[in-house]
Amino acid sequence: MNKKIPNFIFTNQFGLLCLVLIFIVIFSTVTDGFTSRFNIFALSRVIAIDIMIGLAMMVVILTGGLNLALGAIGVCAAMFGGWCMEVLEIPIIPSILLMLGMGSFLGWINGFITVKTGVHSFIVTLATMSIYFGFMTMLTEAEAFRRLPELFTDFGSAKLFNKYISPLLLVSVATCFVLFYVFRFTDIGRKLIAAGANPEAAELSGISVNRMFIYCHVLSGFLGALAAILLTTRIGAAIPSMAGQLGMDWLLPAFLAPVIGGTLLSGGKLSVFGTMLGAVLVTLLTNGLYLLDVGEFWIRFFLGIILLMAVLLDRTREYFTLRKVIVS
Amino acid sequence: MNEFCLEIRSANKSFPGVKALDQASFRLRKGSIHALLGENGAGKSTLIKIITGVHKQDSGKLFINGKEETLNNPNDATKFGISVVHQERNLIRRFSVGENLMLNNLPKTPLGLIDYDEITIKSKKWLEMMDLDIDPKTVVSELTVAKMQLCEIAKALSLKAKILLLDEPTSSLSPQESENLFTLLKKIVRDEGVSIVFVSHKLEEVFNICDDVTVLRDGENACTSEDIKNLDRQKLVRLMIGRDEQIVKSARKIKNAKDTILALRNVKTELGHRNIDLELNRSEIIGLYGLVGAGRTELMKCLIGQDKITDGDVIVNGKKVTINSPKTALEKFKIGYISEDRKKEGLILIHNVLDNTSITVWSQIRKAFGFVSDGMIANKVDSYIRQLEVKTPSNYQLISNLSGGNQQKISVAKWLAAGTDILIIDEPTVGIDIKTKAYLHELIIKLADNGTSIILISSDMPEMISLADKILVMKDFQMSGIVENDHDYDAVSSKIMEFIHT
Repeated sequence: MNKKIPNFIFTNQFGLLCLVLIFIVIFSTVTDGFTSRFNIFALSRVIAIDIMIGLAMMVVILTGGLNLALGAIGVCAAMFGGWCMEVLEIPIIPSILLMLGMGSFLGWINGFITVKTGVHSFIVTLATMSIYFGFMTMLTEAEAFRRLPELFTDFGSAKLFNKYISPLLLVSVATCFVLFYVFRFTDIGRKLIAAGANPEAAELSGISVNRMFIYCHVLSGFLGALAAILLTTRIGAAIPSMAGQLGMDWLLPAFLAPVIGGTLLSGGKLSVFGTMLGAVLVTLLTNGLYLLDVGEFWIRFFLGIILLMAVLLDRTREYFTLRKVIVS
Repeated sequence: MNEFCLEIRSANKSFPGVKALDQASFRLRKGSIHALLGENGAGKSTLIKIITGVHKQDSGKLFINGKEETLNNPNDATKFGISVVHQERNLIRRFSVGENLMLNNLPKTPLGLIDYDEITIKSKKWLEMMDLDIDPKTVVSELTVAKMQLCEIAKALSLKAKILLLDEPTSSLSPQESENLFTLLKKIVRDEGVSIVFVSHKLEEVFNICDDVTVLRDGENACTSEDIKNLDRQKLVRLMIGRDEQIVKSARKIKNAKDTILALRNVKTELGHRNIDLELNRSEIIGLYGLVGAGRTELMKCLIGQDKITDGDVIVNGKKVTINSPKTALEKFKIGYISEDRKKEGLILIHNVLDNTSITVWSQIRKAFGFVSDGMIANKVDSYIRQLEVKTPSNYQLISNLSGGNQQKISVAKWLAAGTDILIIDEPTVGIDIKTKAYLHELIIKLADNGTSIILISSDMPEMISLADKILVMKDFQMSGIVENDHDYDAVSSKIMEFIHT
């Protein structure tokens, strides 16, 4: 039997990589300052967070569902962390673990309700988004935590590689590698994908689909909290409005990255590095357009168009699935 | 003048990578029932799609009533009175029978509203013509599968169909229901002058009702519009598969007659089964026979923990146990279930051969930190993929790109790889070509001989009688009788039918 892994050239990721390179070339020629040290550093910080948000949404899309509460979970985790560090004066590392725990727990609630009621996660997470965010606002009285430990905020402003790259990006890329390993090389990852692709068949093949779906939501909450940690170190404070009203500012990048990256919206097929490249592409595009003095509203307009085009691509991908590896 | 109402001359049709039809010809005599036979992938569906205007042939001619015509889309075909009844139901389940029948031609009141009285009157006419005793106001979802099938035919006739294509109409019908269908088909051919193209894998039916036969093999005609009187079963099979049929040796001897591996005692389930007793010995094949809706598949799903058993005992290897999920069934008790619906419940179509075959063994073969690589998987399952002679270009081929027979082999292979002691096999050969069918039969016998205990669900009476050691007959979610199988077809089948009809 010939075990031919399909040529990298024909993959979605290669196409994305080409697009990324093309945009880099275009923006560095037509704009001033795109390749400046300042801009690249700023880009790397934004990209890091967008990758993480994209990954968090990707793991729920894998189940054929979605997580509208992602931003709310992120903000809750950030505010919880701010409270731990500033008010309770818990050291940084335990605080970070508590934040991740909070994110995972809120994700677990989403997963548990979705699985037990059988209601689509769209409705469940729409409700919990409002509940989480409302609860958080009530408890914090919408006050920000601005006196975080210096060591914590220093991480967000640290510069590596001749001051070009933020360490935040390293965290996100490392997370990609871990997730890639999990989905490609572990039994649990394969079970998550199988459960997402065809729950009935997976269940009858001896996989506890409900448990897998809950894991996906927990993982989403965990990654959402991780994104919030990165964001908090970047802006140096935990602010209730850091992800917009109800955390909804996160939703567009959250869907854009995985869908552009080749994760199937109906579930059962994902691409970790595709999501990473998707996030890079979207951030580059936004940044380049800003530098070209395109207005904020036009940028939103373009991002919406891109999401629609990516969804169209997703539909065609479903019909003409030519790719042979399920994780890449 | 012309006795052929439909003729296709030397049609060619290619799809990327495959030549689906190669100089295929077909002639349908007016007022005849014409069998279109061939293994899966022989080109039957392509031919049907050309006749119904879904595909257009690359070359070759199509004549309707002696005149050359071009069909550009399914609507064109409908205009010429060509109608097809697919394997899949095309009725809207929540609409009434009458609404479904009149859907393409809804009668309206002068105000432009739908005239429901008129629907009832008009549809009643078609139902009566088919001797169907159904109230047009009945909602489709309340009908039995057989009645739905008949309604589809009535719907086709209501579109003034003169040429009716039936794609495996009996695959989900019981023998009695099939018999009724055949009486009706003969009646509409005689009274309405309809001509019928009949696709089926069951040769008994073909000999029962068809006048002419066309056989396709690898896209070519193995025979064209041959009178069925010139053929017998042997010849027909040879035409279809290019060699003689291997008849499965059936009389198996069970070594230790009493080595009960699984027993159900007075079991009740949440789905409505009651008083279920069942005993399965090591190396034994027991058959569950019954009409569609008798609760056989449902009982097995309760057994593996998909649905709940509410009362009674489940005894595995002499110990009373509770099985609360398919995961427990597989991992703790080594019970596997091969679903009848391989596309929905058996396989993951968007994943590849390797992932589908290994889904049951990931937990078994993982190393530290859950590490499982493609290499480890291939090591474990490659031998089964090869043993079952699965035709696939590579282990990384997507399941959706395999033929039905090969898909079924994969859904069997994954359970062989899991190494089960008890294997529940649900309708293993529905829609499977003769060659693969014979192969699967041999495999089931070999598995049992090697110590696996098998519960076989099948609505295919010959299959049941050639494979099972004893046959349990189910009716209305209860056991209605046990037949010791001595492989004497007539005696055993009449005993089974007795249990079904008492």
